[in-house]
Amino acid sequence: MRTDPADNGGLFVGRRPGTAPVHFRSLPQRGSERRRRIDGSFANLLLAAIVALSVLCWGPIPLACLWLGSEADYLSGSVGLGILVAFVGLFGLLFGALSLLRRLDQAWILVRRAAGHDQRTGVLPRVFGATAAVCAVVFAVWFLVIHGPGSSTISGGRSSL
Amino acid sequence: MGLLDYYKQFEAMSEEEVNAGLREEAAERKRKALTRLDTLDLSHTTWPELPHPRVVNAITFVARRGLHRYPHLRGSELRIELAERHGVEPSQLILGNGAAELLSSATRALMEPGQQLLTTWPSYPLYPLMARRAHGQAVPVSGDVDALLEAAAREPNVRVVAVASPNDPTGELLSTAELARLLDGLPGDVAVLLDEALVEFADAQPPSASLELLESHPRLLVFRSFSKAWGLAGLRVGYAIGGPGATELLAELEPDLGVSEVSQAGALEALRSCSELIDLRVATIHEERPRVIAGLRELGHEVGDSQANFVWTAHPVLDGGELAAALAQAGVLVAAGDALGEPRHVRIALRSRAASDRLLRAVAAVA
Repeated sequence: MRTDPADNGGLFVGRRPGTAPVHFRSLPQRGSERRRRIDGSFANLLLAAIVALSVLCWGPIPLACLWLGSEADYLSGSVGLGILVAFVGLFGLLFGALSLLRRLDQAWILVRRAAGHDQRTGVLPRVFGATAAVCAVVFAVWFLVIHGPGSSTISGGRSSL
Repeated sequence: MGLLDYYKQFEAMSEEEVNAGLREEAAERKRKALTRLDTLDLSHTTWPELPHPRVVNAITFVARRGLHRYPHLRGSELRIELAERHGVEPSQLILGNGAAELLSSATRALMEPGQQLLTTWPSYPLYPLMARRAHGQAVPVSGDVDALLEAAAREPNVRVVAVASPNDPTGELLSTAELARLLDGLPGDVAVLLDEALVEFADAQPPSASLELLESHPRLLVFRSFSKAWGLAGLRVGYAIGGPGATELLAELEPDLGVSEVSQAGALEALRSCSELIDLRVATIHEERPRVIAGLRELGHEVGDSQANFVWTAHPVLDGGELAAALAQAGVLVAAGDALGEPRHVRIALRSRAASDRLLRAVAAVA
């Protein structure tokens, strides 16, 4: 049994990859214990905002864009214009939301550090992935269980039975 | 500090920024390494270069062959080689663990307690010490052969005269004519121990000149060393040469258990394969010595005519210790004279042309 931490077969002779400490331009002046607690709560608020905004990306924003497209179609009588409005709105809102999410994630990292945590990476990839999974499950339940697959206008669906 | 500034201070540096800082630090380290000047040590009279690989190989070979044996007591092979080199019979030459040990042995063999040893001063600090070890008394004499002869006539119980030629630290050479005058002028029972550890560096007369007097002066013993020009101080090999009538005395000086076989092998290989290297070293000293002496004199120093691998110099204002300290500040180490018998002077060893140039620049900066 190896007990010597230096006995590593020549691997990782220096620091292991990805474990570099955070380098600051100057040593940060940390706040009081109370301020750190407040920062911890602030970080949680930011995390909640990130989660909410991520959820918006997977349902409400696409739905809103579809609604905008349908309104444009109704008002102009042009399906093409409706599709265009829907896509432009979707891309604009999604990229805007992603940009805002990234800023929120950066802010969350700083506030977490201010709260006294050794925060090296952001939370956005995990939150975005998790909300995507949750929304996919919700959509699947709605689609397969609540609404049911098939067209509501063409016969053969559950509504026609 | 504003709210935003408070949080901005927790912003990490990007990888590019960190790497740029590291590159800057590395460049700074490199610049410092390139501009760093190693200390130039001119305080020792031994040769600074590492021994020739052939010498090291010979020592290694002998060491592997058998350190479990006692060495050949008379060091026959090295002894014969040295005798042939100096044109004397092997019985006239003995090996020792350095010339210093042989000089001490000779003093003990020659002097009775209470007897006196004359030596010029300043000179090799071992001479007074070896007189004390022989329970005798050292009588330092300032001056030349005349002063020695006067002291020998004045002092009641002189038994030994120890003279270094070239003298350490002054670098003065005792010419053959002066040596002959000294030998002829001394009382009949006084022996002369001539320390020629630095004689290879002299160019005023051939290194073998003093050996010509051995035949006619049985009270003369000449001591040579592998420590200086040969650059093998760590081996501790020296030898003494006497006249045909000095065989019994020489036998008394020999180390009881001889000289280490390893040391003999190194010295023998040096004799056989490093002669050209020694000639180059000596030629370097012959070139640099007049340059350094002239350069120091131009700067107002009082410098004697040296025949050794060093110069003995006095600053017009500073004493030896102050000059040595000032030169040490400039990265040049020299030997202060207070430990060598004359506090006003410093002893500066000679090396390459680059070393001489750096020394003269440092001395000029002090001046």
